[in-house]
Amino acid sequence: MTLWTMLWVALPFFVGFSIYLLPQGDRILALIVTLVSMAYAMVLFGQPAPLSWHLLDNFGVTLMADSLSAFFILTNALVTAAVILYCWYSGKTTYFYIQTIILHGSVNAAFICADLISLYVALEVVGIGTFLLITYPRSDRSLWVALRYLFVSNTAMLFYLMGAALVYQANQSFAFAAIEGSPIEAFALIFVGLLTKGGIFISGLWLPLTHSESETPVSALMSGVVIKAGVFALVRLALMLEEIDPIVRIFGAGTALLGMAYAMFEKDTKRMLAFHTVSQMGFVLAAPEVGGFYALTHGLVKAALFLTAGALPSRSFKELHNQPIHTPIWIALVIASFSISGFPLLSGFGAKVLTMKNLLPWQVIAMNLAALGTAISFAKFIFLPHGHAKEQAVKRGFWPAVVVLLAGLVVANVAYYDAYSLANIAKPLATIALGWLVYLLVIQRLVVKLPRVLEKFEHLIGVMSVMLLVLFGMVLA
Amino acid sequence: MLYACVYATILLGFFGILLKENLVMKIIAMDVMSTGVIALFVLVAARGGTYTPILNGASDVAYADPVPQAVILTAIVIGFSIQALMLVAVMKLARDNPTLETRAIEEEYRP
Repeated sequence: MTLWTMLWVALPFFVGFSIYLLPQGDRILALIVTLVSMAYAMVLFGQPAPLSWHLLDNFGVTLMADSLSAFFILTNALVTAAVILYCWYSGKTTYFYIQTIILHGSVNAAFICADLISLYVALEVVGIGTFLLITYPRSDRSLWVALRYLFVSNTAMLFYLMGAALVYQANQSFAFAAIEGSPIEAFALIFVGLLTKGGIFISGLWLPLTHSESETPVSALMSGVVIKAGVFALVRLALMLEEIDPIVRIFGAGTALLGMAYAMFEKDTKRMLAFHTVSQMGFVLAAPEVGGFYALTHGLVKAALFLTAGALPSRSFKELHNQPIHTPIWIALVIASFSISGFPLLSGFGAKVLTMKNLLPWQVIAMNLAALGTAISFAKFIFLPHGHAKEQAVKRGFWPAVVVLLAGLVVANVAYYDAYSLANIAKPLATIALGWLVYLLVIQRLVVKLPRVLEKFEHLIGVMSVMLLVLFGMVLA
Repeated sequence: MLYACVYATILLGFFGILLKENLVMKIIAMDVMSTGVIALFVLVAARGGTYTPILNGASDVAYADPVPQAVILTAIVIGFSIQALMLVAVMKLARDNPTLETRAIEEEYRP
């Protein structure tokens, strides 16, 4: 297994650079890499015990792969494959596929890291890859969005690096396990980096603009997998170190509510989806033990939703109300919305039930509220008018991509079939019904413009120092 | 004392990112901050001794810790490449926004 893992980690980079030599085969090569990742994730699910490696000697790279990594890797493979299929006929240049596959590789690497420095390298490469993908259209606007992203992410990673130095000073090791027993400032610094990178709570408010202003396939890739690179590290830390677990859970509940509040009042489809990503990352963190399954479900659904939102005639919900959507597109939209609201028969149901089961008592109210908010925000999609008044052309790659993602949702549903008990089924249905009721009676008529002050560049940086203080306080308490 | 200087560098860099209006100045401030972090690693490495950790015959001196130094080398390379990327992006932005004021750019490209 060691050999296979090393080959698998190296493959995307190797293929990525060889595509330069074989530009004709760019799409096929990229697709093959994602299939290999998929196969690797399947093998990883079959392993009885977590695999870990200590390369070279004590100071070498530490890797760890278990079923949690397998969930994340599978998400990465499926979403990247769908994005490549989506772009198949779009005439994107070879360069786009190279960046996609290198990004795929670095996100994969982040999912098996078990020491701070490999994680740092993986996250920085993720940052660079994302930057290059966002700037692909070369417009001034995309340059600014990408620059802003790279700035925030790099500043966060500098804090992280400081934390890593302090951990090493205390314990002579960069392994995750060494964080235990290192000074609190080290812990707070590392957390600021990861929270920002993972789009959690107020330090994640860079995310809505970045994810909504990028091109459709790039948005799908970012919301589907890239954001999970940071979240995965938080989940891993929460599982390894007991004293971190409550802090991660608090941030999980906080970000779930914050993202949900913004998503509920958002009038723009892509921004709504982006805010919803912030909220869903909260669900992943709220119950770290089962975060993997939730991340898989969310990745598939969010990628499908972003791709579908890109096929809609307009981005504004108001205009969409006056403009019927082509029925097949509407059906895809509704399946995805149902899954994310937790409707039975789709994997969003199993994931929600599993997460709700693993909550601590104090989290229950917050997470149920967040689930209600999800149902409310997705009612906006479900209650859009549809018909075949006017044929709307979709990209040729659209259907294969969306079918892959939605099929993934249905298949993943079997992973946790114990969820199908009467009480379990009744609760999400009640939540969805209540959500729709609130939407139809209140939210639909309400026009609330939430301030975007916190999304300004200076505030994004400033919030990091605030978070640093908050984390200090939390650890001391 | 040295630690205080290092932390001051990092903090100054951070405030530079926060308070400077011009994008190029922000990038330079980020460079200052990353220099501070690099210095922190060097300082951590030098705790046990300052002798260059190269094995040349048996000499009983206090070697510096090679691990943080090796690690920070990676980080320097990454930081350098990110800065190069940012500067390219800023160069391109500068054609249409010659002042490079963050506030103005942000205003212009708002959705």
